[in-house]
Parts: sequence; structure tokens; C-alpha cells
Amino acid sequence: MSAAAGTAARPSALEALHEEEALGKAYDARLLRRLYRWVAPYRTQVALTLILVAPMFVLEIAPAWIVKTGIDRVIAPAARGAAPAPGASPAGWADRIFVPPAGIPPLVWLGLLYLVAMSAGAALQYAQSVVMSKTGQAAMRDLRKDVFTQVQRLHLGFFDRYPVGRLVTRATNDVENVAEMFSAGIVALVTDLLKMIGFAVVLFLVQPRLAAVTFLVVPFLAICAVVFRLRVRDAFRAVRVRIARINASLQETVTGMKVVQLFTREDRNLRDFARLNADHRDAWFLSIRYDAALFSVVEMAQGLCVGIILWVGSGLVAAGTLYVFIDWMRRFFQPLRDLSAKYSVMQSSMASCERIFQLLDTAPAVLDPGLPAVAARAAPARRGAVEFDHVSFGYAGGDLVLRELSFRVEPGEKVAFVGATGAGKSSVIKLLERFYDPRSGRILLDGQDLREMPQAELRRRVALVLQDVFLFAGSVADNLRLGRTDLDDAALERAARAVEAHRFIERLPQGYATEVRERGANLSAGQRQLLSFARALLHGADVLVLDEATSSIDTETEALIQKALRVLWQGKTALVIAHRLSTIQDVDRIYVLHKGRIVEVGRHDELLARRGVYHRLYRLQYQAEERRAAG
Amino acid sequence: MSAAGAAPAGASGARAGLRRLWPYLAHNRQRYAGWSVATLGYVALVVAVPLLVGWAFAAAQQGLGASEVARRCSILIGVTLARGALRYWTRTVVFNAAREVEYELRNDLFAHLQRLPQSFYFRWRTGDLMSRCTNDLNSVRLLLGPGLLNLLQTPILLASVLVSMLVLDPRLALCVLIPYPAFLLVARGFGRSLYRANLAVQEGLAELSNFLQERVSGIAVVKAYAMESASAAAFRAASDDLYRRQLRLVRVNSGMVPILSLLPAAAMGIVLFVGGREVMQGRMRLPQLFSFAMYVYELSLPTFFLGWVATLVQRGLASMQRIDQVLSEEPSIADRPDAVPLGRLRGEIEFRGLTFRYPGHEREPALRDLSLRVPAGGSLGIVGPVGAGKTTLVSLIPRLFEVPDGHVFIDGIDVNRIPLGTLRRCIAMVPQDSFLFSMSIADNVAYGLPETDPAQVQEAAERAQLAKDVADLPQGWDTIVGERGVMLSGGQRQRTALARALALEPTILILDDVLSSVDAETEAAIQARLEEAGRGRTLLVVAHRVSTVRACDQIVVLEEGRVIERGSHAELLAAGGAYARLARQQALEEELEDADRQAEAVA
Repeated sequence: MSAAAGTAARPSALEALHEEEALGKAYDARLLRRLYRWVAPYRTQVALTLILVAPMFVLEIAPAWIVKTGIDRVIAPAARGAAPAPGASPAGWADRIFVPPAGIPPLVWLGLLYLVAMSAGAALQYAQSVVMSKTGQAAMRDLRKDVFTQVQRLHLGFFDRYPVGRLVTRATNDVENVAEMFSAGIVALVTDLLKMIGFAVVLFLVQPRLAAVTFLVVPFLAICAVVFRLRVRDAFRAVRVRIARINASLQETVTGMKVVQLFTREDRNLRDFARLNADHRDAWFLSIRYDAALFSVVEMAQGLCVGIILWVGSGLVAAGTLYVFIDWMRRFFQPLRDLSAKYSVMQSSMASCERIFQLLDTAPAVLDPGLPAVAARAAPARRGAVEFDHVSFGYAGGDLVLRELSFRVEPGEKVAFVGATGAGKSSVIKLLERFYDPRSGRILLDGQDLREMPQAELRRRVALVLQDVFLFAGSVADNLRLGRTDLDDAALERAARAVEAHRFIERLPQGYATEVRERGANLSAGQRQLLSFARALLHGADVLVLDEATSSIDTETEALIQKALRVLWQGKTALVIAHRLSTIQDVDRIYVLHKGRIVEVGRHDELLARRGVYHRLYRLQYQAEERRAAG
Repeated sequence: MSAAGAAPAGASGARAGLRRLWPYLAHNRQRYAGWSVATLGYVALVVAVPLLVGWAFAAAQQGLGASEVARRCSILIGVTLARGALRYWTRTVVFNAAREVEYELRNDLFAHLQRLPQSFYFRWRTGDLMSRCTNDLNSVRLLLGPGLLNLLQTPILLASVLVSMLVLDPRLALCVLIPYPAFLLVARGFGRSLYRANLAVQEGLAELSNFLQERVSGIAVVKAYAMESASAAAFRAASDDLYRRQLRLVRVNSGMVPILSLLPAAAMGIVLFVGGREVMQGRMRLPQLFSFAMYVYELSLPTFFLGWVATLVQRGLASMQRIDQVLSEEPSIADRPDAVPLGRLRGEIEFRGLTFRYPGHEREPALRDLSLRVPAGGSLGIVGPVGAGKTTLVSLIPRLFEVPDGHVFIDGIDVNRIPLGTLRRCIAMVPQDSFLFSMSIADNVAYGLPETDPAQVQEAAERAQLAKDVADLPQGWDTIVGERGVMLSGGQRQRTALARALALEPTILILDDVLSSVDAETEAAIQARLEEAGRGRTLLVVAHRVSTVRACDQIVVLEEGRVIERGSHAELLAAGGAYARLARQQALEEELEDADRQAEAVA
């Protein structure tokens, strides 16, 4: 990496990021050890695949041995005019299998054996491959679930920084890449290695001298392989770094195309891009050269071995043994050919593994209290009192958006928050839902600090209705239930009736079973709002937190929404970010926020009478609505 | 767009793709010619080796003596080495040629993308474009590399080996061929199941991605309604479904290799037992049997590759078609044949009865019958609600979108007749989103200059009130601003974009709501410098704040693509319309801010 980076004058932060992403080691013991946790439940299967290597090896060497027996004991003697003697002086129990039962011609018997060995070999190969890949997929299914669990555990602030697309890639492409390691990576490498050792051993057993001479090629080949392998690896790294740069540059240019064109930077960009592109091509030229060299050297070595076997062997052994040597040497070399492919599989698997673990290692900033804290507290009286006690808050690295904010809402009270954009209204909501924790100060629900309460309990007690109603793909009923299978259809309908949603749902093509299109594209803003009210009502919370929709809605639906809101907040504590005139007129108290502080408090008419900030704000923001409503 | 791309390559589309590809192949014809000749040599050697094996073996069999055996074996070894060398050569030549074509094609794509207008980028998603420039380009490269290599070499090789076998012993050769048709059928069947299983897995993955995408986008609702365990259950179900699809693929995949490796094994069995019988009957000699066995080895690998090559070719052609779709897009904003060669523009801008619709929004015009004139060196402020057409209006001056003829003029000349380079070099526009590139802050400021000149950069930065910030940065001017400028604050980004525009010393300066993230104090400072810098330039300012446009000679209020108010600041205030309301609201906000500062001072 350093060598490649050194050639560029000044790699940007973006490039550095991409470089880091692009480079994976092909083998990282630390990652593999950690990955073992997901493999452990399937260790019997893994053991099985490795145990299968032994019979598979026997079946792989068998065909050539059968051919040898055929040549040496049947064909060659017959060609010389001697009687075929397939079972002549059987050397051991294994040899006895070649003696044909009475009545079967020797060559036919050997043919049958050949057929059996061949089919059994294929069957075992199939079985091993299935077990191995299946194990990989099963382990990856578990890993994927853990990734998703982790995603759901993370606090909301995390998603501000981490693009959705990247998270999706972690759970899909990256997991798939790791699965590749099982089907084509490490297990295949181990299998190959075991087989190569096996071939070397049996070759020496058959004819030590011939084997020794033939294997003289191997050290030379090994050196070549290692040298070229290293070169290919370096060249490959350079390639990866450069393609990452090319893609980063391309992506940046496409996204910033307006600026590129406005500043007539096209020619210079093309020059810069062509340079990156040429670097990439040249890195490939090098990589191709070494890769092809490795390929050819293996092939040459194979040919060399055939020559040596014939040369040295013809004086030493019978024709059949020559055949065995040629066949087995061939098989010995086979794994070396696709070493490069396996290497790059391992490399990308490891890189993906690393990225997945990084995600799994991200600590959620909003945590449930430890068990003792939960156990220690008395069962709270559920009433719905909300208190902010000197709460200060700012988003990661940003300025404070709430400054020492304090207020208290008694059970059953309705309060509204008003203020300009950026005054901190929506932060109040997010803190009360504990999407974030405050930097200082406390937030209390019925006298208890939110941080001492399990998040699930808090969120059961506080119902949230956001301005931008998010609907999931699924039916209307699914979107009301939100995963709560204990709610029956009657309950859904009751809630929908209460918030005036039933009528329009009924009119949908399949009623409650109507599929909601992506993000509710087939529903109007007003309808979505009513659905979200029904959701909140079904939720059965003590506290309602509502960010009123700002979007303009026709007056008829508007009236429906206002009516529904009265039903919804009945008997509940309600905190509303108000955008509707009727809402602010109805609440017990209005907090006027400015830059994270409360600047005025009071009822609508009191505040108007005071002729302060609220009065002016009201004239600007709400009077227009009043005029629209009147006109 | 993506729907068109996802469709399999139709014959005509594939042909168009090939037509597009042809010039690139022609460029590299010397490489390809050399490669074709080398391939023939390589195939000849491949065919020779089994014969030589039999020949060398025969020397031993017939007892011709150690020296003859040694001679024949050395020739065999020599030929295998030559074969290896030729193989190296053919591989490198064709793979290099493929990389060369990839290089040229990528450059051409990049150049073409830079020529395409903004309307193109409205229609095409970045992800889709990136995918065509990366994945599809890669598929094309595979088509030209391993694809082409095997497309030429494999048929020649197979045919030559078959001919040699037939010459050697026609009966045995025909027997060896017996299993091949059956296996071709099996292989085809496998290919189809593999395709289906693969498709099913892709669908499963897509479903899982969609689910994830949705849950992550709606994470606030998931958390607020404590849906975590229900979501996890749904994810498990989707994941299990994917797993089941993958198992189907695993079974097909795992079956493929063993079954296909049965083919050479079966052929070898036939060689042994049919050939063996012939040897026993004296119709064939053992060395020939050896040659046959070697031929079967040579046959096994290419047969194995055939299916893979078919997929490569199919995918490569489909990808070339997708690339061709991008390259076929017309750069609709370019120099016209009737362009007027001009020196420097003076900067008088005029819109005459301009009605403008975005392509694809045929009914709703973004601007309606709009007429405006800004004299050279004059200034125009543009205010109005979101979606009123402010940005559209100023974007038409540098021809970011296709401007209808006869409606927009600079110095009395239709902008469409001004050479694009001349036009854009005279205009500096600071767009709303202040996009910065991931280079140093100095290089960003000098983005429109021929090179980064420290003096010019410093000067522009002073005027944009950026210099002080840069001095505070740890690496000063060399600070890398990060992807889209993430290392800088919103205000710093906007001022960097402003400095970038000022560095051009433009005749016309367009500011599209660029000071929204800058605090009032800095804004005032920038404005003071702008007035000074703006002297002699035509200035267009789009703003949300009245304070930003107050000093302009002329202010227009846009609403739904129409000018609803126009005049100077004082005139518009007096008129008591939309502009006056906006001014009152902002006065209140400023007052609150003042109160805030006083409170802070007291505290």
C-alpha cells in the first residue's frame, strides 16, 4: 500500500479510505478465529468434509491404478502373446480385488471396477461439496441475523453517519463473500494441500527412484510459484488501489458534474482521469504477465514431468506404472493452476469479514441499564409525567441545540412547542424517545430517569407520531399492527374508527388487506397521518409525542385530523410540535423555543396578550393559515 | 432506465453493442493478428505432444536403446516447453488487448459523461451509471479477454484433437466420442438449472436488501414502536428463504463439477477397454493407446470451459449494450454550428418571455413567460418560496439545461449561440449545495483556474471571508476537505465554494442561496467585500434572507415560475406585499438573536 500510495503525489482522504477498503489480507488468523464462532455449531459438518478427503483421495488414485493393472497384467501380456494374468501373484489384499470372479473376462471386470470407482468418486465429490457449501451458507445465515440484530441495537445517531446502502452491503454482498470462503476458499485450499501430500506419498510408495527424479521438478516449480505468487499479489494490490481511485474519481465527478461543467474543468479532469486509468491498465499488464507466467510454468513443469517419467521410467518400470505416474503427477499439479483464483476469493472474503466485524464492534451509544438497576427500582406508578431537568444536547460534534432546558408536564396535560426552524423542537421529541442521550441534565418519566429504564418499556409508554409518516411495505393492517400479533382485526378497526381512518381504509381496493406501496405512495398525506394516529392509539401509551404535519392538506381532511387528534390524546399526556392553529389554541400550555431555550410560556391567549415573541411568531406563522381557512 | 438495462440482450441491441465495440478492436488489430497466429502455433503443439508421448514411449517399448529414448524424450520436453511459452504469449497478448480496450472505453465513457447535460443526470441515477462504468465494463473486458481467447482457441483445439484422434484410429476415436453428446445435453441442462437457481438467489438477495433498506430507513419507527423483535423475525424469515434458495444453488453447483469430470473419466475408460482390446488383438500398439490417453486429457479442460465461455459471451454482450445506451445519449448542450466566436462578454443579461419546462415535466412549466433585464455591471436579487423557480432561472444562464432558442440573451446574443467554453468561463456560479471535491482546500478554491496559484487563491479566500478559517486549520491550505467537503462546517463549505467562484474573476457572478449556513455577522462581512469585488461584474443573488438581497439594484419575487413583485428594496417594502412580509418575519428573528446575545452577555 505504501509503495502504491507513494507514487501518487498526495492521496486524498477519500482515496485513503478506499485503499483501506480495497486491501484485504488473504489470510488473517485473527479474523478466522473470530469467524469460528459462527462455524462452531456446524463443526461436525466441517469435520465430515475433511474426513471425506481420505476416501475421495483413494477414489481419485484408483482409476489410474485400475488402468495400470489392465495395461500391465492384461493388455501388455496379451500383446506379447502371453496369457493375461490380472490376479497373478496378488501382493496384498488390495490386489485381490483385481482378480475377476469366475466367468468374467479380466478386462470387463476391470472396466466394472473403473466404472464403480469413477461414479463413487463423483458421488463423494458431490457430497463433500454440498456439505461444505451448505455449512458455509448456514453459518452465514446466522452471521447475517447477528448483523441485523446489531443494526437494530445501534442508536439513531449511528444512522446519521452510516449510509443505508453501505449497511445493506454488509448484510448481503459482504456476507456472500464470506460464504465464498467455504465453497471455494479455505476448505478447498486445505483439501488441495492434503491431496498434494497424498499424491507425493503414493508416488514414492509405487517407485521411489522414479518419484525422486520426477519430484526434482517440484522445488524449481515451488520457487517459481512462490516468486510469481508474490509478484502477482503485489501487482494485484496495486491494481486494487488503482481501481478504487478510478471509481472514487468517477463517482465524485458524476455527483459533482454540475460544478465540473460550470467551471469548464472537463479537459483537465479527463487528463487526470486518463492518467489514473493508464496506471490501472499498466498495473494489470504487470499482473497479467506474472499470472500467465505462473500458468505456463505449471504447464511446462507438467510436460517436463511427462518427459522425465518416460525417459527415466521406461527402463525402470512397466508401461502401466508409467501411466500411473503421468496421471498422478497431473493431478498433483492441478491445484496449482487455480491458486490465483482461490487466493483472490480469500482476499475478498477476508476484506468483507473485516468490514462485517467492524460493524458488529460498533458500540451502541444508547444502552439499556444493567440488570441490577432494573431490579433495584420499584415498579413505577404509570401516570405519564414528563420532566426535562437542565437538559443540554447537541448532535455528534455539533453545537448545542438544547441548552439547559427545563420544563415539567403533569399527567394528562397537553403542551405545544413552537419556534422557528432549528429552535430545538424536534430534538425534544428525539430525546424523550431516547433516540439520543442528553449531554447533560436528566429526562424523567414519572420521576424516573430514562437511562434507568429498558428502552422497550420506555417506548411502550411513549407513542410517537412523526411528521413524515413512515409506512412499511405490507398491508394496511400490517402497518397498524407494526409486528404486534396480539392485536386482532377488531382492535384494528376500533382504533381506525376512533381516529376517522376506517372510512377511507374501507374504500381501499382490498380494505385493511390493501398493500401499501413503497413508503405509502398510494396514500395521501392526510390518509397517512390518520394511519399514524391509529398506530399510536393501538400502542396504548401514557404519553403521546406528536410532530404535526406541515404539509398542506385539504380542509376536509384537515377537519378529520383535528377531530382525530382530540380522540387520540384524550387521557394522555401530550407533547406536540404544533403547526396547526387549532392545536395551539387547545393546549394547556405553549412553550416558545428559541435556540434551545424556552423564551416564553403560557396559554395561547395569555401569550398573545403579552405581545412578545409569540405574538409576532403567531402573526407570521399562523395568521396565514387563519386567512387561508377563512378564505 | 434500469428496466431497460436489466432486459437480456436483444439481437439488435447486441448488434449495436458490437458495432460500438468494433473500433476499439480495430485499434488493437496488430495484437489480435499476432495472437491469432500464435494460437494456431499453440494448437499445433498441443496436438503434437500426445503423439510425441506415444513416440517416446514406443522407443522404450521397441527397445531402441537408451540414447534413442533420451533423444525422443528431449524433443518431447522441448516441445512442451515451447507450448508453455506460446501459451504465455497468447494469454498475455489477448488479456493485455482486453485491458487496453477497457482503458480506452473507460476514458471515452468518462469524456462522454462530462459532455452530457444536467437533464441527463436527472434521468439517470448515479448508482446505475457507476454500475455501467464498473460492472458492465468488467463484463465486456471478460468477454474480450478470456471470452475471446476461448472463443477462438477452444473450437480450433477441439477440432484439431478430434482430427488427430480420427487419423490415429477412427474406430477408437468414434467410441471415445460416444459419451460427448449425452454430456453436452447434461451440461446444457445443468446450465439452465444453474441459471434458474442463480436467478432465484439474486431475487432472494434483492428481497433481503429491500427489506433491510426499508427497516434501516424507518429505524426511528422501528425503535419508537419497539418493533425490533418483530422485525428480527421477519428478517429471519427472509434470510431463511434466501438460505433455501441458496441450498438449491449449492446442489446444482456441487453436482456440476463431478458430473462434468465424469466425462473425461468415461472417455478414458473407453480408451482403455476398447483400445485395450484392440491392442490385445494386435490391431493397435500400446504407444498409440498412450497417445489416445493423452488426447483425452487435452480434451477435458476445453470442454469444461465451454459452458463458462458461453455465459461470459452472453453477459459481455448484454453489458456492452448497457454501455452503448450511455454512449448513445446525445450531448444536447454543446457548441452550435452557428456559434458566434466572442472574446470577453460584458455581462448584460436578458430574459424575453421565457417559459421553461424540465424535460419529462411537459405540463408544469418551471418558469412562465418571464421577462427580465440586468444591465452589464448591475445586480439582481431573487427571492421567493421553495419551488418558485429561482434556481432554474439562474441555471439557464450558463446553459446547465437546454434553453429554448430566442429567450435568453447575454450582451444581446442568444446564449445558445455563444460557445459553451466562452460562456461558462465568463460566468461563475455558486450552486446551492456547495459541492466540494476531495482535494486540498487550495485546489478546491483554484478549481476553475488553469493551475493552483497561491496568490490568487489567497485573494479569493480573503474576499469570501475564508482565509481566517484556513489559517486555523491544522494543515492550512493543504487540508483535504474530505468527500464532498465533510471535514468542513456548512458555513466553511459555502465560503469555499464562494471563493472558488470569485477566483475566476467572472463577468457574471451568480450566487444561489449560498450564505444560508453563514451567520449574520460573517454574511455582513462577505457582503461588504462582495460589493467591492462585484464592481464591474453583473451579480445575481438568489436568497431566502432579505438582508442578502437588500443592496441589489433590482429585486424580483418569484412565485410558481412568475415574477410577482419587482423593484428596489425600499420600493418593495413600501408596496407591503410578499417581500415586505418576508422582511418583517426576518426582522423578528434577528431581534430574537439580539435578545439572545444580550442574555448571553448578561449571563
